[in-house]
Amino acid sequence: QVSVINTVDTSHEDMIHDAQMDYYGTRLATCSSDRSVKIFDVRNGGQILIADLRGHEGPVWQVAWAHPMYGNILASCSYDRKVIIWKEENGTWEKTYEYTGHDSSVNSVCWAPHDYGLILACGSSDGAISLLTYTGDGQWEVKKISNAHTIGCNAVSWAPAVVPGSLIEQPSGQKPNYIKRFASGGCDNLVKIWKDEEGQWKEEQKLEAHSDWVRDVAWAPSIGLPTSTIASCSQDGRVFIWTCDDASGNSWSPKLLHKFNDVVWHVSWSITANILAVSGGDNKVTLWKESVDGLWACISDVNKGQGGVSAVTEGQQNEQ
Amino acid sequence: DTVPPQVVPGADPSARQLCFAWGPAEVLVCETLFGRAGGFRSRCLFRSPCPSRFWGEGTVGAAARALTGSVTGTGDGASGSSRVFVVRRDQDIYIQTLRKLFNESHGIFMGLQRSEEELAGKSRKAQLVQVSKNYRSVIRACMEDMHQAAVSTRDPALQGQYSTQVSILSAMELIWNLCEILFVEAATAGPLLLRLLDWVRLHVCDVDSMVREVLSSESPSKHKLFWNVVDVFVLQGRMDEARHLLSKEASANPASMNMYKILDDLMKKMPVPSLGNTQTLTELELKWQHWHEECQRYLQDGTFASNPHMESICKILLGDEDAILEKKELMTTWYHFLVTRLLYSHPTVKPMELRFYAQSSMDLFLGGESSPEPLDMILMAAFEFEMHQVIKECSIVLSNWWFVAHLTDLLDHCKLLQSHNLYFGSNMREFLLLEYASGLFSHHSLWQLGVDYFDHCPEYGRVYLELHIERIPLSTEQKALKVLRICEQRQMHEQVRSICKIMAMKALRNNRLGSALSWSIRAKDAAFATLISDRFLKDYCERGCFSDLDLIDNLGPSMLLSDRLTFLGKYREFHRLYGEKRFPEAARLLLTLMTAHIAPCSFWMTLLTDALPLLEQKEVIFSAEQTYELMRCLEDLTAGNPDKQKFQDDDVETTKVEMLRLALARNLARVIVKEGTMEGS
Repeated sequence: QVSVINTVDTSHEDMIHDAQMDYYGTRLATCSSDRSVKIFDVRNGGQILIADLRGHEGPVWQVAWAHPMYGNILASCSYDRKVIIWKEENGTWEKTYEYTGHDSSVNSVCWAPHDYGLILACGSSDGAISLLTYTGDGQWEVKKISNAHTIGCNAVSWAPAVVPGSLIEQPSGQKPNYIKRFASGGCDNLVKIWKDEEGQWKEEQKLEAHSDWVRDVAWAPSIGLPTSTIASCSQDGRVFIWTCDDASGNSWSPKLLHKFNDVVWHVSWSITANILAVSGGDNKVTLWKESVDGLWACISDVNKGQGGVSAVTEGQQNEQ
Repeated sequence: DTVPPQVVPGADPSARQLCFAWGPAEVLVCETLFGRAGGFRSRCLFRSPCPSRFWGEGTVGAAARALTGSVTGTGDGASGSSRVFVVRRDQDIYIQTLRKLFNESHGIFMGLQRSEEELAGKSRKAQLVQVSKNYRSVIRACMEDMHQAAVSTRDPALQGQYSTQVSILSAMELIWNLCEILFVEAATAGPLLLRLLDWVRLHVCDVDSMVREVLSSESPSKHKLFWNVVDVFVLQGRMDEARHLLSKEASANPASMNMYKILDDLMKKMPVPSLGNTQTLTELELKWQHWHEECQRYLQDGTFASNPHMESICKILLGDEDAILEKKELMTTWYHFLVTRLLYSHPTVKPMELRFYAQSSMDLFLGGESSPEPLDMILMAAFEFEMHQVIKECSIVLSNWWFVAHLTDLLDHCKLLQSHNLYFGSNMREFLLLEYASGLFSHHSLWQLGVDYFDHCPEYGRVYLELHIERIPLSTEQKALKVLRICEQRQMHEQVRSICKIMAMKALRNNRLGSALSWSIRAKDAAFATLISDRFLKDYCERGCFSDLDLIDNLGPSMLLSDRLTFLGKYREFHRLYGEKRFPEAARLLLTLMTAHIAPCSFWMTLLTDALPLLEQKEVIFSAEQTYELMRCLEDLTAGNPDKQKFQDDDVETTKVEMLRLALARNLARVIVKEGTMEGS
């Protein structure tokens, strides 16, 4: 059973394109074709508008919350080719940085794992991916991967931070040697994996399986296994689950989750990576769960009928 | 058949799609239109969720199912296009009256995890049975509370909710009790029947009020429901009570005295299994056979022919299915029918034989009029000793993981899951516990119970804890400290650091510099410590005094975390020395701060200005060498650094520099004289 615990009336004047909870589930950010980004306090089933951020000149496609250790920071990207980073300072939200280096709509933004610092990856219809790194004192450094995907890049998603090698605690102050990676999906039907090699971003892998534009990619959170998992969905109606077993990241193999009858727009993982949500495709939002070692325990055969589960007690009709 | 309400009311399938995002403990759904960069629009419909889909690896039972189900949500018809719906599963944790269930079962769970594994055989089994009973008593206590709540509320909706909960809890206890008998205690033939009789008597309560009514009437044997009650007792194997009632009838109706005596005698003599080992099964079977034959003779002789009630009882004693089935309404359930049948036809039934009797009992009882409900299927699976099936069905039907998680854990401790299809066994326990505990984390205080459950999941417990504990809102310092303690106890260093950094940032944003500093020290975050130290220093420059002196004075070795922090600490020390009039020491420290490059260049001017009062003292403090050093510092500052060109333009700065040069020169003069004089003498 599921219950709607809150309904937030955003009063956006046009289509909403993205809605994201912050780290703790206390705040909600939404963005819309009406060019605004709104932030609500949604604690205890409430909905208080905290900020109505204006700055974009076109539909805003995505928002992303940074890790709370950097403060209250939100990134947004838009058709107007801009990426704006907003920050809450002294109780008010303001634009803290604006990046205008793309030639076309910026479709996706994703913050890197907090262990790497404050880094934002942005994918654009101009085919480039830009990486904005906060260097301190209000300054941001930009690195650009031009022609990451021909025609356009639709999605970016970071790999979870995993320290290679030993797991002993690093002495304080010393940064462990993270291998930074992220995945991107584009209009060239490809999913690509990028790796940071001594400050330069190199294309590490090209994952081919889709026959049409890749609409979204999502790198699953790590649960301590040596495998990495990426989900990708495409205009071709397919959702693939890519897994790589070895730590060096060399061999990725796809498994088809499902072929839908329609475009699949969006995939996302729950925080413990045990459920994948797929939006789009034959008109449903579906939840998918991996069966590990034959784990089927809770859910099984479709024999309870559609549209509801009978109550346990006999003679009682389903009310819930 | 009603169509279940949609999560997004008024969602228009021809125009919109649904956007979906995960929150830490909930999901967000809103209408949208994908396809901005040239894609086309599709229809959509969000039907509310039921359990999820798997992609299988060819494993048993893995199958796909789309997200469907029912939702209790707000149902206004307003356009949904500007609304975002926050949706959660497993809202049971928010039901206040179930709180006891979660808290107390947590205690039992922990006790079980820590219990003596060295105990073997009988004592271990007894221990596990006790645990099972404890769980059941918690369920019953909860039922009681829920029942009270239902009775005392005036709100019919709430009353309905409570009543539903009571039935669910009752069903849970029914299932658990059966599992206890069959799996945990693993009752053997003989005692098995007795346990099942207890079980039925405990759970089939529909007849209780009727029984009470008859017993409390003035003349029970004249009550119109008298025979019904006698039948109930017979059906439940409550011989003594049946005989007692019958005696009343006999005394009121002397004509049937003969019949009564015989029946009474038969009932008295009926061989039943005993709990102690006073007779073997074979002995019992033999006795029973004889007794059965005796009953048969009396029936065939027509002894009870004139009293249909008594005759029917005799038939029941003989295990006549039709006779028993006639009393359907008194038994109310097929499993009652099953146990009655067994009592009167096969009291020495073995556990493995139950499945046949169970299936046929259900078929006979339902008789094609009604079909089995989920509860029936669960009980059937139990009678068939299909433990996995029981768990599976319960998972589907119940609205939260509490039941299956705890029951499976217990069964795992009984080493039962492993012997069944061991490939899944222990993983299933962990899987269910992980699901249950994850659900607890969305609750503002029950999350603490979740921690313990994760602790006892050897494979993924730790990483699940790491992922979940980071998402707990650190609304107060106390909560943050609580979370920290949990992380520190488990050496979750990354999480400790992360939490401290978050708290430091929060404190900084609220201008609580001291708090921010101590959090960043705890986080071992050098960069942040530097940032905050700079703020302290900036404050000092602006206001001429330090805040949070206590903290800075007692930094100790953590001062070394960052250069700036070290400077802050040492600088404060300088001020302290000055305040205590320990001028030579203060002077030395001041100089070291510059010469050892502990102080940032931006601060040198301030330091030199701080040196002024020392230079102006009556007593000479700085030695000649020190003075030369100071002069050099000043020159470096004004000449070397191109930034400092500004000084030339700033009047205040120029004056300061002039004053310093003068003071230094004067000091030099004095000290040369002093040192010259001392050397001379």
